[in-house]
Amino acid sequence: MTVHRALATLLLSTLAAAAEQRSPAPAAPKSTAATKPSSSAPPTPAAPAAMTPPAPLAPAGSPSLERLIQLVADDVRAFKPEPPIALHLSGTSAELQRAAGTLLAARLSFNQMAPLVLDAPSPEAAESLARERGARSLVRLTISVQNGELTARGDLLGTWVNFWSGRTPTRPSTPAAALVRAVEADAGVLALAALSPMTASSPPLAVTTGPRQVRLMGAMLVRLEQAPAALATGDLDGDGKDEVAVLTERAVSVFAADGRVLARRELDGLPLSPAPPREPFGAMAVIPQPARLAVWSARYAHGEVLVFDAAKSSLRPIGPLDTAPLGAAERGTFTSGQTTFTPEVRLGEGRILAVPAPFTTASIVLPRMLFVHLDGSASLYARPTAPPVRIPGLGAGSALGDLDGDGTPELITTSPQLFPAPDVVRVYPLSGDDPTTHGMLWQSILPAGRALHVVTADLDHDNHREVLVGLWHSDGTGEVFLMRQGAP
Amino acid sequence: MTLRHALLCLLLLGAAPGLAAGRIPYGGELRVAHTGSAEPLGDPTIADTPVEAALFSFLSRPVCRLDPSGAPRLALARDITRPSGQTVRLSLPSLSLANTLARAWTRITGPEAPTPYRALLFPIKGEARQLSANGSTVELPLSFPWPDMERALCHPALALPLTTVAPSLGPFSATAAKGLLESRLGYPEGRPYLDRVLLTPTDERGLARMWTSKQVQLALGAPPEAGVLTGPALYATYLSFSPRRVPSDFRDAFESAIDREDLTRLFVRAPAVSMPHLLPPALLTQSPRPRPAARPASGARAVTLLYDGANEDQKAVAERIQVKLHDRGYKVALEPLPRPILRARWAKGDFDLMLQSLLLPPVPGPALAVVLDAAGRKDLLGVELPLIGAVADPAARDARARDRAVALGPTVPILPLYAQGLGMRAVPELGGLVLDAQGLPLLDGVYFVPAESAASAGMPR
Repeated sequence: MTVHRALATLLLSTLAAAAEQRSPAPAAPKSTAATKPSSSAPPTPAAPAAMTPPAPLAPAGSPSLERLIQLVADDVRAFKPEPPIALHLSGTSAELQRAAGTLLAARLSFNQMAPLVLDAPSPEAAESLARERGARSLVRLTISVQNGELTARGDLLGTWVNFWSGRTPTRPSTPAAALVRAVEADAGVLALAALSPMTASSPPLAVTTGPRQVRLMGAMLVRLEQAPAALATGDLDGDGKDEVAVLTERAVSVFAADGRVLARRELDGLPLSPAPPREPFGAMAVIPQPARLAVWSARYAHGEVLVFDAAKSSLRPIGPLDTAPLGAAERGTFTSGQTTFTPEVRLGEGRILAVPAPFTTASIVLPRMLFVHLDGSASLYARPTAPPVRIPGLGAGSALGDLDGDGTPELITTSPQLFPAPDVVRVYPLSGDDPTTHGMLWQSILPAGRALHVVTADLDHDNHREVLVGLWHSDGTGEVFLMRQGAP
Repeated sequence: MTLRHALLCLLLLGAAPGLAAGRIPYGGELRVAHTGSAEPLGDPTIADTPVEAALFSFLSRPVCRLDPSGAPRLALARDITRPSGQTVRLSLPSLSLANTLARAWTRITGPEAPTPYRALLFPIKGEARQLSANGSTVELPLSFPWPDMERALCHPALALPLTTVAPSLGPFSATAAKGLLESRLGYPEGRPYLDRVLLTPTDERGLARMWTSKQVQLALGAPPEAGVLTGPALYATYLSFSPRRVPSDFRDAFESAIDREDLTRLFVRAPAVSMPHLLPPALLTQSPRPRPAARPASGARAVTLLYDGANEDQKAVAERIQVKLHDRGYKVALEPLPRPILRARWAKGDFDLMLQSLLLPPVPGPALAVVLDAAGRKDLLGVELPLIGAVADPAARDARARDRAVALGPTVPILPLYAQGLGMRAVPELGGLVLDAQGLPLLDGVYFVPAESAASAGMPR
C-alpha cells in the first residue's frame, strides 16, 4: 500500500505540472523534481532559505526513534513543502506511531513548517482531511520495526488545489516525494512498539483457547566488545524486573532493560584454567532468595558467586564456585578444553541426572529441562525422572521460556548450522513429543552473526517474557539482541 | 541409568555429526603430508623454511603470534606489557618456562648458536646476552625506543626450542607413534579442535601422489592452486658475498649476469617472487634498479659458493649462478652444507659466496634488522634501528624502514634474489584454516566442517 501511495503521489504530481505551467500558483514551490531518498543515499537539497534556522542535529547515540525522525525531517525539509504541513502516521503500534508523530511535528515546527498531526483512519482519508484543515502539504508515513531496523516509509505530497480545478481535488506538481528511511532499532523503540498489557488482549493475540500467538520483533540491546560466553537473566536488584547478565571470556556485566550498564566485574584476578577452550564459553545463573549471580568463564579455574549492589553499581564476590551453574540449583561440569559440559547434571535435590551425551546448552524451567548436544540434537525432559524426548536440528542458542503467558514454556531455538546466513530464531509450543514436528509459533531472521545463546526474561514486569539472543560477530565482537512481543 | 536411557545414549552418540548446534565441532584426525624434514627439528632458528616453521609451530610457539591482520596475540606468554616505555615484560605460565625462554634467547645472541635472527633481540640492552627470569616473568629493558619489539618477539625463530624435557609447548604434542601429534589440553590459547594430526614426510612427487589419491587432507610444500589460501612471501633468499674475498666488481658482475625474474620463474618453486631490494615485495614494493651493462671478463677468478644442501631451490639457483657467473669470468665451485654448519660459517665470515634463506618477520623494521645482520653489517644495527624506532607512528616507521632498505641495498654485501611463501593445498572439508601474518597455517583453529547435506536437514521445516 505504501508503495502504491508513493507512486500515485509521483504520478499525480507529474500530471499536475502541465496545468501549473498555464496557471502559476501564488506560493507554489519552484522545484519540480521528485527524488526518492533512502537510508543510504540522502537527497541533495537545494540551498536553504537564508532565514531558515538550522535543523537541530540528533546527538550521536540518541535513541533510534529520534535519529529516524531527524532523517525524515531533513528529507521533508529538503523538498521545501509549503506550510502548514499535515502529518499522518500509521503503524501497528499506537504508542510508537504517536511518539513518532510528536517528534516529527516538533522537528518541523522548529523549522517553521507549522505541522499538524492528523488522526485519520487511513492514509487515503488523511489527504482529504488535510485539505479540510487547510494544510498545504501532507506527509504520510508508516512506522515499523522489522529485522532489527526501525523504518519509516511513505510520501510527501502537496494538498493545495488549483483554482481552475474547481471542486476536483487535484494535486500540485510539488512537493512530491517518496520517503524511505531506516535506522538500527534500539531497546527504547522496542518498548514503544511492544504490546502493552492493555493492548495484549486485542487482536491478533486474543485467543481464548489453546496456545496464544507469539509475535516477536527485535532490536539490538547491547553491543559487546567481546563475544558472549553466557547469558542469564533474573531480578538482581529486587525491583520486580529482570536484569540481563552477560558473561564474556574475561568479564561479567549486568545491563538494564534499556541497555544501560548497571555493573561490571573483570575476572582477570581468577586463576587461569589448566585446560581452557578456544572459544568464549561459560555458565551463568541467577540464584534467588537472596538474588546472587553465579558466574564461571571456562577460561578460569573456578567461578564466583556475585552480589549485585545497585547503589554502588558493582558486583561483589561472596565466594568461589567449583561447579558450573546451569540453573538456580542445577550444576554441571565443563568438559576439559571444549565448549561442552560433561553428561552429568547435579539437580537441586542432590540427585545426579545422566544426560545422554555431553551438551553445550542447558535451559531449565522446572520441571522441564532442555540439553542441546554438539550434533544439533537435544534431550528434552518433561520432568527429571522421565526419559528424555530427542529433538533434532536445534542450535546452541536454545531455551525454554513462556512467551505467550499460558503457563507452559515454549521452545525457542536457533539454527544448528555452523555459519547460517542469516541465523533464524524459531519458537515451538511444547507438547509431549518432539515439538519441532508440530507447527511453529514464530520464526524470524536474526541480524548477522552466530546466535549461540538464548535466554528469556521479564524485563518490564508485564508478565510477558522477552527473548534475548547472544550473537557472535566475525570480528570477535558480540551483541545482545532483544526480541519483544509485538506486531512488527 | 535405565535401559531406555542407555539406548538413547547410543543413538545420540552414533549419529553422524552432520550438525554442530552452531558450535565448532571437536575431534578428528587430520592427515598432513609435507616436504619438510623427516626428523623433527628442535631448534626454531634452523627450522626456518616455511614448511619446517609451520611444522615447528605445531609443537612450539613464540611468546606471541601475529594474527592475519598483523596484530600480536598471546601464544605462550600469559601477558606482554610495557611497564615503562623502554621495558617489555613477559609473563609466562611458569617459572621453568621463563628460565627456558631466557636461556634460549641468550643462546641465540651468544656465540654458541649464531643466527641472523639474533637481530630481532638487538634492541634489548646488552643484545639480550644477560637475560634472566624473575619468577615467571622476563623483563626486556630496551637500549633505545623500539615500538616493534612486541611484534618482533612473535617471530617463529624465537619460539621455545624443543628439548627432551619439554617436547611439546605448542597446540599439539608429539606421541610415541612417529609423526602422530595429539592436541594439547593445556595449550594457553585453548585445546585445538582436532584430536590428532598425522604428519607424513615425503618429497614433492610423493606429495602430489598422496594428494591426488586423497590420502591426505592438507599438503604443505605443494604448488598452490588458483584460489587457494596463500600467505605473504617472506622466506627471502640472498647471495651474501665476502668483500674481502671476491673482487670489487662482483656486485656489478652479478647484477649484469643474473635476471632475477628469470631465476625466480625457472629455478624456484612457487609461490615465489623476485626480490630486487633488501626486503621482499610483501614489505617493500618498488621497481628494480636498471641492471648494469655487462663488462668484459678479466681473467678467471675462482670463488666457492656455499649453499644449504637440504634446500632444493638453493641447489638449482646455485647451479644457475655458477653458469651465469662463468660468463663474467668467475669460476664458481659449489659446496652444499648442512644448515647449522652453513650458519656457523656465516657467523665466522668464512665464505666467498653464500646463499642464505631467511624467514623474515612481516614488519619492515625488524625484517631489515635481520637482513643487515645476515649481510655481516651488525654494526649498522646500532645506527639504523634507533632512527627507525624513534618514529612513533607505525605507518611512518615502516616507511622509514623501507626507505633505509632501499638506500642501504647497494652498500651492504648481500644481494637479494627471491622470496617464497608456503605452498599449500587443503581439502574443502577443512574449516577454520587461516594463515598468520607470517604466512604459516594455524592448525589449532582447524576443524572438520559438518557435512552440508546433513546440516540442511536441521533447517526449519
